[in-house]
Formats: sequence, C-alpha cells, structure tokens
Amino acid sequence: MTKIFIDGREVEADPKQPLVHALHKEGEDVPTYCYHPGLSPVGSCRICQVEVKQGDMPARVVVACRTPVSEGMQVFANSPKAHEVRRECLEFLLKNHPLDCPICDKAGECDLQDFSFNEGQSFSRTVEPRRKLDKRKSLGDVILLDEERCILCSRCVRFMEEVPKTPQLTVSGLAARSTISTFMDRPLTGNYQGNLADVCPVGALTLKSFRFQARVWNLKPTASTCGECSRGCSVIHEVLRSDELKRTRPRENQQVNGWWMCDTGRFAIDKHELEGRLTGAHLHGNHGLKATKTEEALELASNMLALHGPPVIVASPWLTQEEGTLLVELAQSLGTKAHFFSPAANGLADDLLHTGDPAPNRRGLTELGLEPIESEALLESLMEAKSALLVGERIIDLIGEDQLQTLPAALRLIICDLKSVSAPALNACFGIHSCVERRGTWINVDGQRGRISMCRPAPAGTLELENLLRSLTSGTRAPASA
Amino acid sequence: MSQHETYLLDRCDLENSHTLEVYSEHSAKNRAADCQSGYPTLERILRTKQDVKAVVEEIKDSGLRGRGGAGFPSGLKMSFMPDPSKDPRPRFLAVNADESEPGTCKDRVLLREDPHGLLEGILIACYAMSAGTAYIYVRGEYRLEYQRVKDALAEARAAGLVGKNILGSGFDCEVWMHQGAGAYICGEETGLMESLEGKRGHPRPKPPFPAGSGLWGNPTTVNNVETLFNLPFILDRGATWYRGMGTDKSPGNILVGISGHVAKPGVYEVPLGIPARTIIEDIAGGVWKNRKMLAWFPGGSSTGLLPANTIDTAMDHDSIKAAGSMLGTGAMIVLDETTSIVHISRVLARFYDHESCGQCSQCREGTQWLHQILSRMDDGRGRLEDIELLSSLASGMAPGKTICALADAAAIPTHALIKNFRTALEAAASQVDGAKAAAVPSTVTEPAKSVEASA
Repeated sequence: MTKIFIDGREVEADPKQPLVHALHKEGEDVPTYCYHPGLSPVGSCRICQVEVKQGDMPARVVVACRTPVSEGMQVFANSPKAHEVRRECLEFLLKNHPLDCPICDKAGECDLQDFSFNEGQSFSRTVEPRRKLDKRKSLGDVILLDEERCILCSRCVRFMEEVPKTPQLTVSGLAARSTISTFMDRPLTGNYQGNLADVCPVGALTLKSFRFQARVWNLKPTASTCGECSRGCSVIHEVLRSDELKRTRPRENQQVNGWWMCDTGRFAIDKHELEGRLTGAHLHGNHGLKATKTEEALELASNMLALHGPPVIVASPWLTQEEGTLLVELAQSLGTKAHFFSPAANGLADDLLHTGDPAPNRRGLTELGLEPIESEALLESLMEAKSALLVGERIIDLIGEDQLQTLPAALRLIICDLKSVSAPALNACFGIHSCVERRGTWINVDGQRGRISMCRPAPAGTLELENLLRSLTSGTRAPASA
Repeated sequence: MSQHETYLLDRCDLENSHTLEVYSEHSAKNRAADCQSGYPTLERILRTKQDVKAVVEEIKDSGLRGRGGAGFPSGLKMSFMPDPSKDPRPRFLAVNADESEPGTCKDRVLLREDPHGLLEGILIACYAMSAGTAYIYVRGEYRLEYQRVKDALAEARAAGLVGKNILGSGFDCEVWMHQGAGAYICGEETGLMESLEGKRGHPRPKPPFPAGSGLWGNPTTVNNVETLFNLPFILDRGATWYRGMGTDKSPGNILVGISGHVAKPGVYEVPLGIPARTIIEDIAGGVWKNRKMLAWFPGGSSTGLLPANTIDTAMDHDSIKAAGSMLGTGAMIVLDETTSIVHISRVLARFYDHESCGQCSQCREGTQWLHQILSRMDDGRGRLEDIELLSSLASGMAPGKTICALADAAAIPTHALIKNFRTALEAAASQVDGAKAAAVPSTVTEPAKSVEASA
C-alpha cells in the first residue's frame, strides 16, 4: 500500500489503482463520468480534476482517474482551485445538455444532475442554441439512445469492447457533432446490453422496458441474488408502490459478478408477475381442485406420504439451503432420499457470467446431500411410485405440465409451487412464496453464498415453504405414533 | 533581401530535384571520395560504423529544436527512447507529414521537391534510435506530395537504401507510407499514432509518453518532416556549423511559410532570430496594395495574434514567447488594415470547432462555444459581456486541462486576441444591429435571480 495525503489526512492507497479509487474509498465526493472502476480509464471527461503536489514541485491540476498514486503524494480534492476547475468543466458539459431532467428516466440517479447540484452554478452563461439531435434513437431491442443528453464519456463504447468483448458501439463524428452509434445503425446484439443503461452516467442510454415506468426515487431497492442461472449474480430488485417489481440491476460483488449482470437475469422480472398465482392449500375432489384449510390439507398430505411410501421427493433447484435442510429431514423421516430436479443446460452459457445452468442452487442442494435427477429418470420413478412430493417454485414448468398429466391417477401427487396443474395424479397442492418474496441462501457454482431477500410482500394467502415442510415432517411422524 | 547562408531549400530549385539522381549529386558536402550510394551522409555513418550515441550527441550539440510547433530539443527527444539492449521491443519512428495547421505549408515544399532529403533524414534518425521501422504519415490532401515521396521511396528501395541490410552494413530499416484522411487532430502525435494503428485519431493521455509506449505499445518517436530534413545537414557539416546560424537557444535555419496580405507570399528559408520585419518587408515584399499592417500570426493559427507594432520581434522560440505568442511552425499570416479582427477570429474558431476530436469536454464544447460567440459578434449580435465570457471560457479550456494541445491551440490565442485587440472586439460588440440583438437574451449572471432560472 502507498501512503498519500488527502486534504492533509494520511491514508493508505492501492498502488495498482488510479488516484480516484483512493479518493472514492476515502469518501471524497469527486465526480466521475468517463471513469468507471470496471472499465479502462481514458481521462477524457476531465471532471475528476484535483490538485496534486509531489515533492517540491508546485501543486498542479490533474485528472484523478489517470493519475497513479505515489508515496507521500499530497492531494487537494477540496481546494478552491479543485472546485473551480471542476465547475468550469461542468459548465462545458452542460453547454449542450438539454436539461430535460423533468422527463428524464435517469433523473434522481444521474451523475450529471448530482454533481451539478454539488459543484455547478445555478445559472447558465450560454445564450447559444443547444445541439439538436435524435432524442429517440433505437439501438436494438433493449436500449434507446437520446443523443442530446449524451456527454460522450464513451463508457458504453468501452463496456462493449472490454466486458462482453463484442465491440459494437463507437463514437462517430468529430467535435460537438460526435454521437454514439453502431456500425451502419445495426441493432445491438448480445446478452449484456442492459448494462449500458447502468454504465451511462446520464440519461442517454435507457432501458426501453423501463422508460417512463417510474421515478427512481419512488422505487424501493432490496439487495438480493439473481436466480436465472447458477452464477447467482448479486442484484438489486426495485419495487414501486409496495409490490410492482419494476427493475432489476446488478449490485457490485467482486467475488461473483463484478458490476454486471446479463439480460436474461435483468429481464426475469417478467417471471415474477403476480397474476395467476396459486394461494393457499387445495385438495383434489370430485369437481377438481378445491380450496381447503391448510392444516387439513397438510394432515392429508402427510398421511398420504407416510402410508403410501416411500414417496418420491423432488425439489426445485430454486430451493434455498434452509428449505433444502428441512426437505432432507422430511425425507429421512419418510425413510427415503430427497432429490432435486436437474434441468438441462439452456445454451445461454458465455465466457462472462451466464453459466448456462438454469439451476441457481445446484451446488448448495448437492452439498446438502440432495441427488440431482433428470427429467427422464424422474418420470420413470414417478410412474412406479405410489406417492410423490414435488417442492419448490417452477417445479411444474421444469418437469412440464404435459408430462405431469400423463402420470397415472393411482399416484398420490403433492405439489408445492407458485401455480397449479390439472393432472389426474394431483391430490394436493400448496401455493408458496417466490424467490423475490422470501429470505434464504443459495450457493453459486463457485461456492459463493448469495442471500435472497423479500423484495415485495408475498401475495395474500400464499404459504411459507419452510413452515409447510416442518408441518409435513411432524405430520408424517404423528401417524406412526397414532 | 537579407543575406544569409541557406541549405534547406537549396536543392528545390534544381530541375528534377525530387529524383535520387539529382539528390545524390547535390546532397552532402563532406562525402567519401568513393561514395557509391545516393545518400552520402548515411553511407558515411554506416561505413564508419559511427556510434549510435555519437549521432545522438551530434544532434544534441547542434541544438536543433523540433519544427512541428512545440520547439522541443530534438536530440533530447531521441535520447528518451529506451536502451535497446535492455528493451527488446520493436522500435518505431513516425514521421509527421500531416501538416494541417492553417497557414502552415512548409513541409509541403520539402515533400514535393526534396523527398530524398527527408528519406535520408528518416534513415539517420532510425539509425540513431535503433528503430527498424518508420512510418510517414502524409496529410490526405497532399496527393502530389504523397506520390513524390512514394516514388522516392521506391527509388531508394531499388537502390538498396531502404529495407534489409542497407548498403551492406547490417542495418535494417523499413519505411512505410500512410495517407491521412484529412483530420487536423491526426497531426497531434498521439492522435497520429492512433490513426496509424487504424483507429480513430483520438489523442492518448500522456503519460505514457510515446518513447515508452507508442505505436502498438512500443517505443516510438514522432518527428516533424522539417526536423528530420535537418539531420543529414547536421551530420554532414557538424553541430558547430549548425550553431553558426540562428540564435544560441534556437540555432539553424527555419522555413517560414508567409501568407496573408503580403506582396510575395511563399515559403522562405531564414535563420532563426531574424526580425519579423525583415521577413515581412524585405523577403515577402511588404504588405500588399500599399496598405498598412494591422496584425500578424507568428506561427500559424494556433499562435496568438500580435499587433503590427511587434514586428521587430526576432523570429525565434524565446523572443516570440516573450512577445506573448509562439513561434509554432513559423507560418506567418499577415493581416492588413482592412481586416476585421472579429471575422478572422471567427473563421479560425470555426476551424477548431470543426476539428476538435470531441473527447475532452472542455475542448468539444468550448471550441463550439467560442465559435458561436465570435460568429454572433461578427454578425452584429454581440454583447459587451461576451468579451469577458470569451476570456473566461478560454481560461476554462487551457492550459493543460485537456488530453492534447488542441484546446490550448484554440483557447490561448483567444487571450492574446482580447489582450491585443480589445478595442476592436468592443467596437464589434457595441456595433449592435438592433433587430438582431433583441433576439439575444442577456445572460443571467446574478445568482439571486438565477434561483428560478432553468440552468
């Protein structure tokens, strides 16, 4: 570590990182636009200027993102000169900015807006007409570009080059006529386009799906983990008006995903819609499924599993460690083994984040002793079994509704999922909480633990799987003594 | 006409001066009796196996300063290249023939009339720096010049002066040509390297400097055409001879491309330190049409505009700097009394607005802003407060606040403009066309009022 002085304070700085890194680590609010910790520094926006003094040399103004730290360096991040040069730079950046914050989706989380409040002046000295450019330029299915808002920091260009390594964006044109574009205006491709809206420090690149959906200060953010593959990227789910899941964005985690996430995970919010959710417990009667008291259904279910055993017990790979542990206990009390459904690779694997394995807690469940079982083997054993318990969100979709319908009516089938299925074998089903409505732990492909959190309240009447499993365990023990 | 020793342009008037035959006949004074090749100075260096360090020392001793505008000592620049015995990376020389500064036209003459002089200079520089490859980056608009250098290169290659094992000495040097596409910024050394690598000509932040990490991350030196052109003469006739011309701190002769309102515009060779008056009045025939002189640029559009009463200033780096401008490329532009200072400033501001690469915020937006303000003033829609705004914007852009010197080139002359021609600017700002001016709102400058302003 290198010893430097920030405004007279002695601090330790990482010599491999530029000065701005140390400034941010020490809580200095030095603005950055072109600098992003996950991208190569270019030092072009010039907003992170600070004064630096080394040895007997007079203090000079440098850009903190391109300045290496050196032993004994004196940094003046808040000197009048430093504030002055940043204010000057900001004035140039705002010269052609449309200042349409009231209708901009980035407002509230915009670096330009924030730093204007901190460093800028509240009036404009320009009377010249502002740049008129395309305000709605489509860059493909995911991203929309507002050329007028763009401050040409080139973070997006470098992101595409350096992170997914699919260079598709460039700055074209010279001087104030520069714009961000793709070759021949071709649409962007790839599974990482959504990150462009995150890296953009202003409202130039926005997600088409999030345009005019919410003001960001009305969103309630919750730190959680993505469940779309076994990478388990750290994410933030954002909810509007208590239960509308509006946006998922990556959360920095150097052990797992850095600053990024894939579009598959980002746009999985569609999979968490509330419509059609199964609530409460249902038993199969003469006229199809019938809502039943939970206790009653649980008692029946545990009796079925205990008397017509040993049952086939299969978990969804979305089960948390906590739920998995309880399921193992249940299986032991029934004298059988618990399995988890092992879905086939979905072909989305890449070199960056997506593992191609749709099972978010494969490693964790394996560590708990659950055995993976694949579709074919599972159906075979279900054909022969007398009873079966299928547990966890998406288990119906994983096995397939069609396949479940073919199971013999003699099988006593109990399902805990977000929805139900009409199958002759079905005896009872329970509506449970989804992975954005409960807490727990997943273990990713590399053994990193990821917490999932309650981002929105579970729909009224849905049941907590942990409680269900505990009740089933105690229920199956009860008949033996009865 | 002032009498002084010349050497740079001596061959240019000869018939077929661009051919190897004419060049080899008229090049070196101190040639070996049995000199066989077309490049006698190079041949002597290679034959005598002159020490690489001695070549660099000779150039250092000569005091040659770069002719591309900044005036950096050339020998010192060469010595920045890492020691080849410790650094095995390939080494490059990039020749900056992207002459695009408004007013500058001196390299064009050398490229067109004496390309072999440049090639010999390139080979000597490559030898001195142990560089195996040189790239000549020729301005896109220089079609004939490109062809002349290309033909000369073919001649030299055929004569065994370029390529592997030059003149049997074991020294390898390849020279390649590259044609620019017309961007001013590609004349900036790091922009030039980016362009050579096939990318957009966006200047790179320094450090790292080209000598440490230049073309494809390898040690590189970028030199101007005229700088390299001086090398065969220095190595042929010696540093002492070279120091006999020019001044102590700026030795040698320089090519002055004088343009604007003079009777005989053109490229002339003068010793550094000659009074500007001698060049304007004696060599270029004075201001045209019997008019009076109003102002002059000493070295291209990026150097501060000086008033007519400064023409007794000596044309060398330090004297011009003391007068409040820069020697630049020695491209003098003379303006007569009928010139509108505001209009000429507008024209030049337009150039920088057009040519900024657009990376740095201050330069991209600032060059446009300066252009817009000067255009407004020129159109009779100026305001007195615009003068202070110009000054304040120029201070915000430079010096040294951006990656490269383009912002400096646009902004620093603005200070000179305000300092030397404030009266002209004020006159333009107050000669307001009433109807047009009404359309220009006054800037909100009082913070008390600005609370509701939408800035």
